Amino acid sequence: MGIRSIDIQTPEGGTPLAGADPVYLEDPVLDATVRMLVELAAQVWVERERRLALEALLVARGIMTDGALEALQPDAELQQRLKTERARFIEDVFKDLRRIPL
Amino acid sequence: MGINADEWSRAYGPTVARATAGWLHWPGDAFRNRIAAMNDPMPQPRRRSDRAYLDFVEGFRDYLLGPGANFEARLDALVEQEQARLGVPLRDPEQIRTILEARPLTRLRNRLTRTQQEMKWRKIGAAFDEQREELAAELARYDAAGPGRLELDPGFEMPAYAHVEFHLQPGSYWQDELSGFLYHYGTKVFFRGDNDHDELHARLVGRVPPPADGGVRRVLDLACSVGQSTTAFKARYPAADVIGIDYSAPMLRVAHRRAVMLGSDVTFAQRLIEKTGFPDAHFDIVFAFIVFHELPLRVIHETVREAARVTRPGGLFAIYDFTETQAKSPFQLYHRWWDARHNGEPYSQDFCDCDFDSILATHGFVVSAAPVGQRSGGAGYMKHWFATRS
Repeated sequence: MGIRSIDIQTPEGGTPLAGADPVYLEDPVLDATVRMLVELAAQVWVERERRLALEALLVARGIMTDGALEALQPDAELQQRLKTERARFIEDVFKDLRRIPL
Repeated sequence: MGINADEWSRAYGPTVARATAGWLHWPGDAFRNRIAAMNDPMPQPRRRSDRAYLDFVEGFRDYLLGPGANFEARLDALVEQEQARLGVPLRDPEQIRTILEARPLTRLRNRLTRTQQEMKWRKIGAAFDEQREELAAELARYDAAGPGRLELDPGFEMPAYAHVEFHLQPGSYWQDELSGFLYHYGTKVFFRGDNDHDELHARLVGRVPPPADGGVRRVLDLACSVGQSTTAFKARYPAADVIGIDYSAPMLRVAHRRAVMLGSDVTFAQRLIEKTGFPDAHFDIVFAFIVFHELPLRVIHETVREAARVTRPGGLFAIYDFTETQAKSPFQLYHRWWDARHNGEPYSQDFCDCDFDSILATHGFVVSAAPVGQRSGGAGYMKHWFATRS
């Protein structure tokens, strides 16, 4: 359902609020580019954190040996899952393209 | 129990440590350890990847605010340079803004600061929304549990001034049943991991000087949100009645759940801080943590008046909030201008501009000390007021 948000903000006096999508740089394209860059950095960290945790776990349990990961050939099911994950990854990083105003 | 002076000095800087020497009553490592040992004091996003994402945002925020990106020191130096060139102090935020925003560095800093805030809320919101059923059930499980009590007001009317998404939190403090959980995790990221076990709240509560006659039977925590200072007060004064009030039911439910898990016998009640409904001179200590900058000027006055009414003569009103405009560096003046507009803080400028000391005095408080704090993005942003009811 999504988090319920406040449709119309009604501050009593005070400072006027910036709109939902302020542009800070010379060009909205630059704003989107910076947002995508930070998003990408977040995604890279998510992956790196997961891989480090996973490798530590596998080694600790004596399951993985060096080179096994490199040699892995995905079966059909894993291929499909990777495709889905790839689409989600691209959406996460590049969704800001839709926020660039016409 | 006293706190180690070195630890205090490290946390708050030597000036503050000196100014408050002799007042320090750390609620105790036992309190911190109890929170650390709690099963689930702050629900986590279910997915490891979401937790890692938010961990990135926390680290990125720290980088933006600190020596990593080093924005503040460089922009401060730029304004200083301009001041020296002009030969006059720069105090007008619009003028400082013109100087700073002419530089791409400022505009990029603003873009990145806004972006990390948006990323934080988007991810926390999506992650907790996925866990909505179990989180809602978790709250329901604790509502009627003890120790302590939860008093929600079914006829409560949310004031119009609260219809603001403070700090860009979707739904603000109260619109969604999960707002309290969102807020708690959001502040975890905001405090950059330094308050995961209420360390900041415990320190702040530890710094509140007891009334001169020492008697503390009742404590009121104004706008207590998820109740971190409320339970810290109970740990410091176990025999006292400690009550936290807030306008947000979702916050109070999270506060009560945490208190029950902690075994802390405190009351959380849905009431307006400007109209508490408590008897006159009822409390020995009244506490207000970072709430005044989120109130319109009218409500600032009303809240101080109400605090004066419910604090007993000789009792203490302790406030922790933004420093006043006159005390701010030129960059901090600009930051307030920007943060008010771009981080959902519409009332903060009025609070910083108002003469808070004189509002306190008007309503019968005598400020005994007002040391500047060291936290939250750097020195000089935050301040304590310790005021005695005459």
